[in-house]
Amino acid sequence: MLVVRKHHFLVRWSHWLNVPILLGLILSGISIYWASPIYQHKPDPNTGNFDVAADIGIWICAHVPGQHHSSSPPDWIYNHMSLGPGMLAPALRVHWLCAYSFMLNGLVYVAGLAVGGGWRSLLPRWTDLVDALRMFRYYVGFPLAKLARRQWPHPRFNTKYNALQRAAYFSVPVAGFLSVATGWAIHKPMQLHWLAAVFGGYNAARVWHFWLMWLYIFFVVPHVFLVFADGWDTLRSMIVGWSTRVERSEVVAK
Amino acid sequence: MNNDEKRDSLRGLDVPSTGVEPEVKSVSVKKPHSFFAERPLPAIEIASQGLRYQSRRDFLLFGAGALTALAGAGFLLPQETLSRIGIRRNINSPAKEWFLNRALRIDDDVAEALYSVNRSVPTYTKSQITPLKNNYNGSTPDPGYISGWKLTLAGLASGLSISLDIRNLLTRFPVHEQITRLVCVEGWSAIAWWAGVRFDDLIRAYPPMSQAKWARVDSSVNLDASGNPDPYFMSLDLATARHPQTLLATHFNGQPLTVDHGAPLRLLVPMKLGLKNVKAVTRITYAAEEPRDYWAERGYSRYDGI
Repeated sequence: MLVVRKHHFLVRWSHWLNVPILLGLILSGISIYWASPIYQHKPDPNTGNFDVAADIGIWICAHVPGQHHSSSPPDWIYNHMSLGPGMLAPALRVHWLCAYSFMLNGLVYVAGLAVGGGWRSLLPRWTDLVDALRMFRYYVGFPLAKLARRQWPHPRFNTKYNALQRAAYFSVPVAGFLSVATGWAIHKPMQLHWLAAVFGGYNAARVWHFWLMWLYIFFVVPHVFLVFADGWDTLRSMIVGWSTRVERSEVVAK
Repeated sequence: MNNDEKRDSLRGLDVPSTGVEPEVKSVSVKKPHSFFAERPLPAIEIASQGLRYQSRRDFLLFGAGALTALAGAGFLLPQETLSRIGIRRNINSPAKEWFLNRALRIDDDVAEALYSVNRSVPTYTKSQITPLKNNYNGSTPDPGYISGWKLTLAGLASGLSISLDIRNLLTRFPVHEQITRLVCVEGWSAIAWWAGVRFDDLIRAYPPMSQAKWARVDSSVNLDASGNPDPYFMSLDLATARHPQTLLATHFNGQPLTVDHGAPLRLLVPMKLGLKNVKAVTRITYAAEEPRDYWAERGYSRYDGI
């Protein structure tokens, strides 16, 4: 049977390990955010609330069906998207454990890219600008073409990833590096004050760290959706390493 | 027969010229790769049975990994979080505490390795000063304690216990000013203008016993949220106490400290989290062994170097 080697085993292992690690980092991170939200307003005269995340929770409980009976609407976000409110000490311990695991896992991922040569498929190139537009047109037109029962061929590329995939798969390791860097900047703002200065100071580094978290969330949702849309071969290849899609490859060994 | 004759004769025989003419051989069909250029994925021919065996192994590993991750989450997540998602069974265990404290300890060791007595924390200008809220964990003490306040030093090389008042401190030691950032474990921070005497000057004037590596800093006037006495105690390594920016502060933004900010004397140690910056210090005890720490006993780290 002719198959292609698609992902080095270190890349596969670190890919899947990122799932529990990032989940732990995000859940504990939002619990840490609770202790001192970076998005605040003047305290509400009636409730004393100043946290924008609490406002969103109150809105959800008022408008989303099935959430009217929440015992504490201001805590809705923290009850559903973190380890919980008022848990700074346990959240910090989980966050450090996951953060050190994330850094080690990042090294494993980079080692897998280097040993397997996969890094070359991730490098951006000038043609990506036009190719990304072609892919964008394809995704936008795809549902319309389905409705109109028209053919809507996928743009052809003779590379491992298309330009949009490449942009995403290149950005996520960069975001990982920046998350670690901003994390150290806000964790050690005195000993590593030069690092906090790189991101515009301690407070700005906290804002960076917060929005980098959203980058993973914005990445993961289409990532998971598209891997299922693309088919079993693609999902399987991240577990077993090989793919039966050989059309663009060269035979190197028998 | 020389080469020219040979070529002529081969041409005459109408044999394909491949491999005979050197100039044809030099033309390569494959483009040479640049180091950065993407290469086609390597394809391999593999027996279906071998592939099936390999895939089964990888799927079993994947499943085992997923189960381990789930069990690990159940093992490591706080009990309150697990109760919230419907897992009522108590899986608190000493092993869990040990494991999470281990991670905390590693992080503290990293912080300690990053610390240098020669590295200054950033200082700011007066225009960069920001408001600093009163973050007393419990109630703010009644100012009545200030009139009879004394700082007690214990664990000294002399074996004696020393009592000092504010006048002793301010006349005996030079006053230093600094505008530094105070960072809370919660994430907020404030830039404030402090003045006071160096902890290091106090250590030089009243040397600790020779084996001492730690200072325990106490505030006996600390209260809990309901206003009952809740003495505050905090461990500080002497390496950090000796830093030139570690002050026993008496003034805040140009004025004597108010009760909110720990009158009449607070520890200002900007290279540690705010929770180590004890307000209304009443006693400093030098020790060879690491002393107890109020927040470490409540699940926070011990070293808290930032």
